[in-house]
Amino acid sequence: MTPKLRLALFLLACIVTLPAILLLALHMPAFGAHPLPYGDAIDAAAPGERHISNMVSAVNFDYRGFDTLGEEFMLLCAVTGTVVLLRGSRGEALEARPGIVKGRRILPRSDAVVLIGRLFAPLIMLFGIYVAVHAMTTPGGGFQGGVIAATSALLVFFGDGYHGWRGVMKSQVLDALEGGGAALYALCGFASMAIGAPFLTNFLPLGTLKDVWSGGLMLVENAGVACAVGGGFAMIFLEFLEETRTKKGGAKE
Amino acid sequence: MSILIAALLLLLAATGAGVVLTRAPRRQVLALSVNGLVLALLFMALQAPDVAFAEITVGAAALPLLFLVVLASMKMDRSPRPPDEP
Amino acid sequence: MNLLPWLVAAWLLGIGLYGIVTSRNYVHLIGCLAVVQSATYVLLLAAGYRWNAIAPIFYNHPPGTPAVDPVLQALVLTDVVIGATVTALLLALALQLHKRRETLDPEDLRPLRP
Repeated sequence: MTPKLRLALFLLACIVTLPAILLLALHMPAFGAHPLPYGDAIDAAAPGERHISNMVSAVNFDYRGFDTLGEEFMLLCAVTGTVVLLRGSRGEALEARPGIVKGRRILPRSDAVVLIGRLFAPLIMLFGIYVAVHAMTTPGGGFQGGVIAATSALLVFFGDGYHGWRGVMKSQVLDALEGGGAALYALCGFASMAIGAPFLTNFLPLGTLKDVWSGGLMLVENAGVACAVGGGFAMIFLEFLEETRTKKGGAKE
Repeated sequence: MSILIAALLLLLAATGAGVVLTRAPRRQVLALSVNGLVLALLFMALQAPDVAFAEITVGAAALPLLFLVVLASMKMDRSPRPPDEP
Repeated sequence: MNLLPWLVAAWLLGIGLYGIVTSRNYVHLIGCLAVVQSATYVLLLAAGYRWNAIAPIFYNHPPGTPAVDPVLQALVLTDVVIGATVTALLLALALQLHKRRETLDPEDLRPLRP
């Protein structure tokens, strides 16, 4: 199939579906004036039933907690696939030499970059942990906090170079963090089954509204998700950055 | 308020087209970062702060970095090197 | 104004697919896939919006204030993070492809060529 034929078929498909899309857009409910009843029911019921003030966390970890379990295992599968692809073909040895690109010198790092990296890495990591812990009261949660904390680890790479980076990121610790987080979430479900209630029932004491330690089992699930997402993203960064190093000796890829 | 949402939607359509029409991968990374930022602003205007948090971090920082690292490691010279080089 | 979010979502889907169909570099194709994903986010969040409503966080407002739909926001939140991970997997595949075949052009990588 030549590129021109492919483009022609695509344009034909667009022309055929365009009237359907316009008809659909005209029949969609009015933007902003058609609230959905499921969301209104949760907004009305959740602060009283679950004692938390972040409705999105309530939906993620309690009312639709089973979907989040599926999403976590999707994350686990994607990270495992990336690691197997990259680490499987490269091996696990630490590579000391940066990658060689023909015609480009390897420059020493500038002082400004080192200063900013060393100053901001712990601050942003702290911010990520703050966002993850305050899941039940203000906008935040395990997903956001985990990603912010993993991105802060990159600043260690800019500030301290490859040896500082590998000193901080131990791949066994990250493996354990990621797998442990997903396992913790699944164990929360099995713990509620152990006392006779359905899977993922909130059986811990719920606490008071607007308190950081409210929500019961949602706190444990949130911690599991934060560990899994943070560990997963850090593993991805680690594997990708290892790809930019050269192998010692003469092994061909 | 509706002006803000309408303006951000049109800006998003423009940056989305910008990502697709920038064919060189190294320049497309910057277009992707701008697209992520505009998307996060739209999410804030639509009263979704949790989603905006995730989208700023992922769409403007983590994802463009992964693209850049992949592009950098593709330009590397991976030919076999003599084994006695330090 | 009533039609604008749905039309923008359809436009992003269309132009993302156009980029995938006419791409000459697999890394560029993965960027276009990110644009297609963002079309779904816009559609979902625009469907849950309500005029003059607050975000679904009842920390500074009493419970019962009209708020935006939280269910759709929860869907989009997990989608954003997991979508980035899947994009990372696709990038790893593209990297391995480049190592084996030295090129990233879909036209040069037809499967039945030895």
